[in-house]
Amino acid sequence: MKLWYSFLKELKLSSKSFYFYVEVVMAAIIILVLLVFIPEQITIIQKEYINLDMPDNVKASFIDTILEEELDGKAEEVELEYGDTVIMADLYEVDDSEIYIIENREDMIGLTKVDRPMIGAYLTFDESKGEILYEYYLQGYESDRLKNLYRIIHNEDLTEMAAIAETVEVKALNSGYNTLNSREIALPSLLTFNGSLMGMFIIAAYIFLDKQEGIIMAYAVTASKVWEYLMSKVLVMTSVTLITTLAITLAVRGTKANYLMLVVLLITSSFFGSSLGLWISSFYDNMTKAFAAIYTAVMLFMLPAIAYFIPGWEPFWMKFIPTYYTIQGFKEIIIGNGDMNFVALASLGFLVAGTLFFFASNYRFKKTLTT
Amino acid sequence: MLKKIFILFFRDLKVNTRDFLSLYIMVVPIVFAIIINLLTPGINDTTINIALIDGQDDEMVEYLEDFAKVSVYKDIEALEERVSQRDEVFGFVPDGDGYYIMQQGNEPEGLIEYARLMMTFYQEDVQIEDSTAVLHSFERTVPPLKKLLVNIFIMFTAIMGGMLIAINIIEEKSDRTIRSIHLTPVSRNGYLIGKSLIGAILPLYGAVLIIWITGFKDINWLHLMLLVIASSIITVLVGFIEGINNETVMDAAGSVKMLFLPLAGAIAIAELLGDKWQWVAYWVPFYWTYKGIDDVLTYNSELGTTLLYTLFVIIISVIVYLLLMPKIKKGLE
Repeated sequence: MKLWYSFLKELKLSSKSFYFYVEVVMAAIIILVLLVFIPEQITIIQKEYINLDMPDNVKASFIDTILEEELDGKAEEVELEYGDTVIMADLYEVDDSEIYIIENREDMIGLTKVDRPMIGAYLTFDESKGEILYEYYLQGYESDRLKNLYRIIHNEDLTEMAAIAETVEVKALNSGYNTLNSREIALPSLLTFNGSLMGMFIIAAYIFLDKQEGIIMAYAVTASKVWEYLMSKVLVMTSVTLITTLAITLAVRGTKANYLMLVVLLITSSFFGSSLGLWISSFYDNMTKAFAAIYTAVMLFMLPAIAYFIPGWEPFWMKFIPTYYTIQGFKEIIIGNGDMNFVALASLGFLVAGTLFFFASNYRFKKTLTT
Repeated sequence: MLKKIFILFFRDLKVNTRDFLSLYIMVVPIVFAIIINLLTPGINDTTINIALIDGQDDEMVEYLEDFAKVSVYKDIEALEERVSQRDEVFGFVPDGDGYYIMQQGNEPEGLIEYARLMMTFYQEDVQIEDSTAVLHSFERTVPPLKKLLVNIFIMFTAIMGGMLIAINIIEEKSDRTIRSIHLTPVSRNGYLIGKSLIGAILPLYGAVLIIWITGFKDINWLHLMLLVIASSIITVLVGFIEGINNETVMDAAGSVKMLFLPLAGAIAIAELLGDKWQWVAYWVPFYWTYKGIDDVLTYNSELGTTLLYTLFVIIISVIVYLLLMPKIKKGLE
């Protein structure tokens, strides 16, 4: 009961503070950015610089093949520069690539070296065999596996290969997965950052603020216990996160997310983040001192957010960073019919770890808070 | 005047050395740099993962290992169990005379096409030995992701400088030392510059250390300095404004949180969107710094472009300063 009153009092106080408005404005900005500025389907555009050194008729038929997929059906003349050199090139925009046909081989090499496009290639025609020969200009950091792919991809007619590939049967273990658009894909890392990560900062600031203003000293003479005080702070952080996250998710994903599990994961992960923030704060006696430690933790916790946007890159040690589970959990929840066992397990993990950190903070604060 | 500014700066340095700065200098940039170095070996191999049944087709395992990460499982159940895990692994499962691809169901279309193509290449017996393609290399070894991480961390150390200023000022306010400044011969501008130096120097220090440890030693240091100093101007400015206008550390922390959004947005736009969308981020100073540092880290920076990017950042900072000057003046009174 005392905890409940403490919580209500904290909530009332913080709802009048500037911080609360920052949270609301931040949520509004995230919604605005996601709905207005991020297109529903973002395609990552890859550049290709190609120089064609072949008879006119072969060149024309090669370009015709590209034109079939050109978005406007025609090339656009564009200016490109590298170093002090400025050249003109024909740009063909197809699906997810910008193909630049460059007249001079040296220019193509120069541009590939400076711009680091996905592909820089010099194409010639072997009349005796009647086939196009490919010379690729690679940066040097490409993996051997990718190099092998470059080697074989043109061994056979690629269109023919693609047609055969289409016939390969693909069976899904679960065919009911919903798909996410670009906005929804961006959501998990944004929510993680906005909620649990910044929660660590804010709760530390919160504690030091109270300490500075002598509130904690005053608290010591009341009948409440230290853990009730700490828990009321944690609950306020959790409530604010809950409100803003639900608003953002509702605006972006509508009714398609699994809101029950969202609430579960939010409460547990926010509890974990706040308890960790408390625990770190307990080692310092003012915000300036705690700042570097919390900042380092936040930076470390951001790594899974970077990895999340890079497909195929997921080193095993990433799984030791808690935000990996928050981000992946949010993803499953936003999909709606994702793997809820994973979300439940992740939530359980956060609850257990959060409880441990909370007890550890309680133990430390009992000794230090009122001194 | 200059002497007084430095007195303020050294006082800040001394106060901070007692607690925060020592930790910062010793730990933060080094931790970042080590994390980046640890990440690097695995960074580049972004291929697909294929799972096969052990002993089913050794030739296939050997073939696919040239193009993908291959793992083998003792039976179909173990394979299915592996495919159903969260990451993206495709099972190549024997089916009559041929194979089918087993997927979990939520893999991106591009990866499925890749897996299909791998299967087709194997079945059509497309061999590396028959290749007519020639590969040239510029012999670069630093992968783009390492460059991206170094750049992101440099930008974050700049923001950190701003946050430090904000916290310093708020503490001065609560210790009631800020009013005492009016009684000293230090002018308002002198006070502003003196307090800002610490926030400008820390990012510079952090950037140098991160770049040194991650191995980008031969970059153009002058260009890097120009860009980092320019980006510090804006973070220092914002830090200052947060410090002056907020009464508590908590409010300031909340406000600085808002800085992260344009920062992350600018990086995402620069990295992910095509040329025609870049204008969206032109108003964000971090966008220009990010582009400039990217050029520096790819050894492509030129004095002209670097100065231009620096100029953009300074112009934006001046606009922000002019807009917020009345608030700063009011806050200092």
